[in-house]
Amino acid sequence: MIKIFISLQLTVTLLAFAILLVFIGTLAQVDEGLYNAQARYFRQWLIFGLDFFGYHVPLLLPGGYLIGTLLLLNLVAAHLYRFNLSASKIGIQLVHSGVILLLVGQLATDMLARESQIHFVEGQTRPYAESSRSNELAFTTDNGANGEQVIAIPGRLLANGGEIQNANLPFKIRVKSYWENSEPTFRAPMMKNGPPLTPNGVANSFDFRLSVETKSMDEKNVPTALIEFIGSNGSLGDWVVSSWTTDEEMIQGIRQNYEQQVGPQMAGKIAGQLTQPQSIEADGKKFTFALRPERIYFPFSLQLLKATHTVYEGTDIPKDFRSRVQLRNPQTGEDREVEISMNHPMRYAGLTFYQYQMDAGQAAREAGRIPSSVLQVVHNPSWLTPYIGCGLVAVGLTTQFMFHLVGFLSKRRAR
Amino acid sequence: MSLINWNQRVASKRGLICVILISALAGCNRDETKVYNVPKDAPPPTQPEQAAAPETVQPAMPPPMTAAASIPPVKYQLPEGWQEKPPTDMRVASFTAMGPNGQTADVSVIPLPVVGRDLELINMWRSRVQLPATSDPDAVKQFEPVDIGSGQGRLFTFVSAQPIEGKGKQRLLEAMLTRDTMSWFFKITGEDAFVTSQKKHFLQFLKSVSFVENMPPQIADAPAPPVDSGNAGSIWTVPPNWRSVPPAQFLLAEYSTPGANGTKAEINVAAMGGEGGGLLPNVNRWRGQIGLGPISENDLPNIAQSLAVPDGKATLVDFAGTDAKTGAAMRTVGAIVSENGQTWFYKLMGDKQVVAQEKENFTKFIQSANYANVR
Repeated sequence: MIKIFISLQLTVTLLAFAILLVFIGTLAQVDEGLYNAQARYFRQWLIFGLDFFGYHVPLLLPGGYLIGTLLLLNLVAAHLYRFNLSASKIGIQLVHSGVILLLVGQLATDMLARESQIHFVEGQTRPYAESSRSNELAFTTDNGANGEQVIAIPGRLLANGGEIQNANLPFKIRVKSYWENSEPTFRAPMMKNGPPLTPNGVANSFDFRLSVETKSMDEKNVPTALIEFIGSNGSLGDWVVSSWTTDEEMIQGIRQNYEQQVGPQMAGKIAGQLTQPQSIEADGKKFTFALRPERIYFPFSLQLLKATHTVYEGTDIPKDFRSRVQLRNPQTGEDREVEISMNHPMRYAGLTFYQYQMDAGQAAREAGRIPSSVLQVVHNPSWLTPYIGCGLVAVGLTTQFMFHLVGFLSKRRAR
Repeated sequence: MSLINWNQRVASKRGLICVILISALAGCNRDETKVYNVPKDAPPPTQPEQAAAPETVQPAMPPPMTAAASIPPVKYQLPEGWQEKPPTDMRVASFTAMGPNGQTADVSVIPLPVVGRDLELINMWRSRVQLPATSDPDAVKQFEPVDIGSGQGRLFTFVSAQPIEGKGKQRLLEAMLTRDTMSWFFKITGEDAFVTSQKKHFLQFLKSVSFVENMPPQIADAPAPPVDSGNAGSIWTVPPNWRSVPPAQFLLAEYSTPGANGTKAEINVAAMGGEGGGLLPNVNRWRGQIGLGPISENDLPNIAQSLAVPDGKATLVDFAGTDAKTGAAMRTVGAIVSENGQTWFYKLMGDKQVVAQEKENFTKFIQSANYANVR
């Protein structure tokens, strides 16, 4: 058994599969988009069938996780089996250790790294970032001196359908419909409208309909669900929850779209109706609820003081995007200003904050919008492993080379 | 088995276990409901709004492109038979294409910050020629590449399935070019045959467009000018006895005017893109509010009359009914104004006598509208 794991044939076979997988996965991005291709081919143990130039090929292939894990085992096993602590092999040992660290580090990055975003307008304070791809159904209720209690149910559970229960909620949630992507339409009072999806909440002002799931990197799916709350005495009604009501990027898009049709004043009112909070009362407690981008709270907060978008003089070519933020951390007593700009991220508390998007230029001023900024927040606990791994490989190769060079020169001199 | 071999096998098994544990731990906690406490949310900063002066109604936001509008940021060569119109609303340039037999088509140039999804734009344009919305993602690919100045844009064509407003089928050509953070929309719309004949002129016009790159900084950077607190910049002149009240949802403005013995009438204004649902459904909606049954299309001329307004056409309706709750005599005077692709709904409703007193003020209020100040 151990011979299989230490064999070079296994290494070559796995590398051949890895090459094939990279080829297939790269082509698949054209039709399936980056995230779907990653999930289907690389973040998988086994691949059951693949789509190639529009044809479905019924093949069973090892996925990225399986190839990576077996390569790691192969390398670790061979390393340990042939381990020989001698000066002549120290370089080889270092190279192997570096490659092992690279593989483990990549696996850890894939599993543990998290990207999120902070959207804020000037003056706004954010103690949290939001995921750009995951959503959650969040219930918020007053918790006295402790602020607000949040019960956040992952959107993936809604997608599964059925009934959801939580000990902190005095009702069950029955998912009647879930659309991974949806489109809202304003139910203008002057237009002929069909009956609303439900007579409660946002459904009175907006219709939502199923939309084709997008795979493009430039677009995102905005989910909507029709849910029913069931309390101890029966149904508390049907409600529509939608990320259209909470996703600030999409709300801004709707506002701008309606501005063209009905002017900014009416567009502001329509957007206001869309974002009106929804709540129910059960067991004497009021719960405000929304399907929203998943939030990741920090023990500190950032306030956007100034968003600056400068262009090269006389042109509209962007020169710099810069956010001046106030960092406040009640645990450490920190209260200081930080400038975040392109290529100058802020590193704090194991997170990296990059300048990502901005709406602070001439167009924003002319449309009367408050300047706003979006920061990309990256949490990657294993960010150092590639540097250390590559360092080990470099030191190992140099050591091995120098060892042979010194030996060769010594022999030559002896002759 | 030697000791070293045994050690090697144990070590490789440990390696395997470690990898599986890392995978398992990282995979945990993904579908669990989270419960935590957070500080109460601070209210978000409000978008800048200008307070409404007591005598006039101000647009909530400074007009877009105002700074740029004083110097058009595009240059172009006017095709034969086209006449320039003053820029209005969001248009930085506006023209009428004239035909030899009196046919006309409307041409506009509108810059906007990069907006929405292409399919949403397509559906907005489709609605302008009364085509149903489409969810076909290929609709965004159905364009002709066109030269817009030195750039390459996309030209979309839409033709109504039916004649619109008794003018025959309508054709809309919409060219779009995205430059940096702005999308530029060039539109020609009018009767199908005439717009078809104008297409070559429209394409010439698009090709001749050049964007003014070196706009003087003091203009490009100047904040939008403050809106005059007098009538300039206001939409309507409001009668002195009308009191402004916070408008209900979907209303742009709302007023109340008192009568004798606690009676009153209310005036409100709303606006919608396109036809806003049409005249008859809205008249019947208003009738229903004072306990009257719906009427048919044939009955409409009996209660409708046209109203002269400076910009566009208006229809005035007038009917009496009763308050469903109190049984009091009620009257509604409504006006629907079509103006530049938008429909404005004005309604005076309330006590029969107060409405009779205020009808003249109401019509003057409608006629005072300056729609150019809306955006």
